[in-house]
Amino acid sequence: MANAEKIVLSDLITACEQNIVSDMGGEKVMLSVRNGNYYNLGAVGGRIWDLLVSPVTAGTLIDELLKEFDVERDVCERHVISFLEHLRKEGLIVVRPEHSAALRA
Amino acid sequence: MQKKAWLQPTLEVLDV
Repeated sequence: MANAEKIVLSDLITACEQNIVSDMGGEKVMLSVRNGNYYNLGAVGGRIWDLLVSPVTAGTLIDELLKEFDVERDVCERHVISFLEHLRKEGLIVVRPEHSAALRA
Repeated sequence: MQKKAWLQPTLEVLDV
Protein backbone atom coordinates (compact mmCIF):
# COMPACT_ATOMS: atom_id res chain seq x y z
CA MET A 1 0.00 0.00 0.00
CA ALA A 2 1.54 3.32 -1.08
CA ASN A 3 0.17 5.12 1.97
CA ALA A 4 2.39 3.06 4.27
CA GLU A 5 5.65 4.13 2.62
CA LYS A 6 8.12 5.82 4.92
CA ILE A 7 8.07 9.60 4.69
CA VAL A 8 11.31 11.08 3.35
CA LEU A 9 12.66 14.63 3.52
CA SER A 10 11.71 15.42 -0.08
CA ASP A 11 8.04 14.48 0.40
CA LEU A 12 5.54 17.33 0.19
CA ILE A 13 3.28 17.57 3.25
CA THR A 14 -0.17 19.16 3.00
CA ALA A 15 -2.57 19.59 5.92
CA CYS A 16 -6.12 18.42 5.27
CA GLU A 17 -8.62 21.27 5.44
CA GLN A 18 -11.34 19.36 7.25
CA ASN A 19 -9.95 20.09 10.71
CA ILE A 20 -10.99 22.58 13.38
CA VAL A 21 -8.02 23.72 15.46
CA SER A 22 -7.94 25.57 18.77
CA ASP A 23 -5.19 26.68 21.13
CA MET A 24 -5.72 25.52 24.71
CA GLY A 25 -3.16 26.56 27.29
CA GLY A 26 -0.26 26.59 24.86
CA GLU A 27 -1.19 23.27 23.31
CA LYS A 28 -3.10 22.74 20.11
CA VAL A 29 -6.28 20.68 20.09
CA MET A 30 -7.92 19.61 16.87
CA LEU A 31 -11.23 18.13 15.79
CA SER A 32 -11.19 16.10 12.60
CA VAL A 33 -14.51 16.71 10.86
CA ARG A 34 -13.71 13.72 8.65
CA ASN A 35 -13.49 11.09 11.39
CA GLY A 36 -14.99 12.90 14.40
CA ASN A 37 -11.91 12.39 16.57
CA TYR A 38 -10.34 14.96 18.86
CA TYR A 39 -6.55 15.19 19.02
CA ASN A 40 -4.05 16.92 21.28
CA LEU A 41 -0.97 17.89 19.28
CA GLY A 42 0.88 19.38 22.25
CA ALA A 43 3.13 22.43 22.00
CA VAL A 44 5.73 21.17 19.51
CA GLY A 45 3.14 19.30 17.47
CA GLY A 46 1.07 22.47 17.39
CA ARG A 47 4.03 24.43 16.04
CA ILE A 48 4.52 21.79 13.35
CA TRP A 49 0.84 22.12 12.44
CA ASP A 50 1.27 25.90 12.15
CA LEU A 51 4.12 25.36 9.69
CA LEU A 52 1.85 23.15 7.57
CA VAL A 53 -0.42 26.12 6.83
CA SER A 54 0.84 25.83 3.25
CA PRO A 55 2.31 22.74 1.57
CA VAL A 56 5.93 22.22 2.61
CA THR A 57 8.50 19.45 2.24
CA ALA A 58 9.44 17.47 5.33
CA GLY A 59 13.01 18.73 4.93
CA THR A 60 11.98 22.40 4.91
CA LEU A 61 9.75 21.78 7.91
CA ILE A 62 12.65 20.27 9.86
CA ASP A 63 15.01 23.10 8.85
CA GLU A 64 12.54 25.61 10.26
CA LEU A 65 12.16 23.67 13.52
CA LEU A 66 15.95 23.49 13.92
CA LYS A 67 16.04 27.31 13.85
CA GLU A 68 13.47 27.51 16.66
CA PHE A 69 14.26 24.55 18.91
CA ASP A 70 17.34 23.32 20.73
CA VAL A 71 17.61 19.85 19.21
CA GLU A 72 20.08 17.83 17.15
CA ARG A 73 19.17 17.35 13.49
CA ASP A 74 19.07 13.55 13.58
CA VAL A 75 16.82 13.56 16.66
CA CYS A 76 14.54 16.20 15.12
CA GLU A 77 14.27 14.26 11.85
CA ARG A 78 13.43 11.01 13.62
CA HIS A 79 10.80 12.61 15.86
CA VAL A 80 9.19 14.71 13.13
CA ILE A 81 9.01 11.89 10.58
CA SER A 82 7.39 9.64 13.20
CA PHE A 83 4.91 12.40 14.08
CA LEU A 84 4.07 13.04 10.42
CA GLU A 85 3.49 9.34 9.83
CA HIS A 86 1.04 9.32 12.74
CA LEU A 87 -0.75 12.37 11.28
CA ARG A 88 -0.98 10.59 7.93
CA LYS A 89 -2.30 7.41 9.55
CA GLU A 90 -5.10 9.46 11.13
CA GLY A 91 -5.88 11.11 7.79
CA LEU A 92 -4.91 14.60 8.98
CA ILE A 93 -2.28 15.25 6.30
CA VAL A 94 -1.59 14.21 2.73
CA VAL A 95 1.95 13.17 1.77
CA ARG A 96 3.05 13.38 -1.85
CA PRO A 97 6.38 12.12 -3.14
CA GLU A 98 8.62 14.79 -4.64
CA HIS A 99 8.16 13.62 -8.24
CA SER A 100 4.38 13.63 -7.82
CA ALA A 101 4.48 17.16 -6.39
CA ALA A 102 6.64 18.36 -9.29
CA LEU A 103 4.11 17.06 -11.78
CA ARG A 104 1.38 19.16 -10.15
CA ALA A 105 3.44 22.37 -10.15
CA MET B 1 17.17 34.37 19.46
CA GLN B 2 17.09 31.85 22.27
CA LYS B 3 15.96 28.45 21.10
CA LYS B 4 13.06 26.70 22.80
CA ALA B 5 13.35 23.34 24.52
CA TRP B 6 12.48 20.38 22.32
CA LEU B 7 9.91 17.80 23.34
CA GLN B 8 9.12 14.86 21.10
CA PRO B 9 5.88 15.74 19.28
CA THR B 10 3.08 13.26 19.91
CA LEU B 11 -0.44 12.97 18.56
CA GLU B 12 -2.76 12.12 21.44
CA VAL B 13 -6.22 10.88 20.50
CA LEU B 14 -8.62 12.31 23.08
CA ASP B 15 -11.48 10.17 24.40
CA VAL B 16 -14.29 12.71 24.63
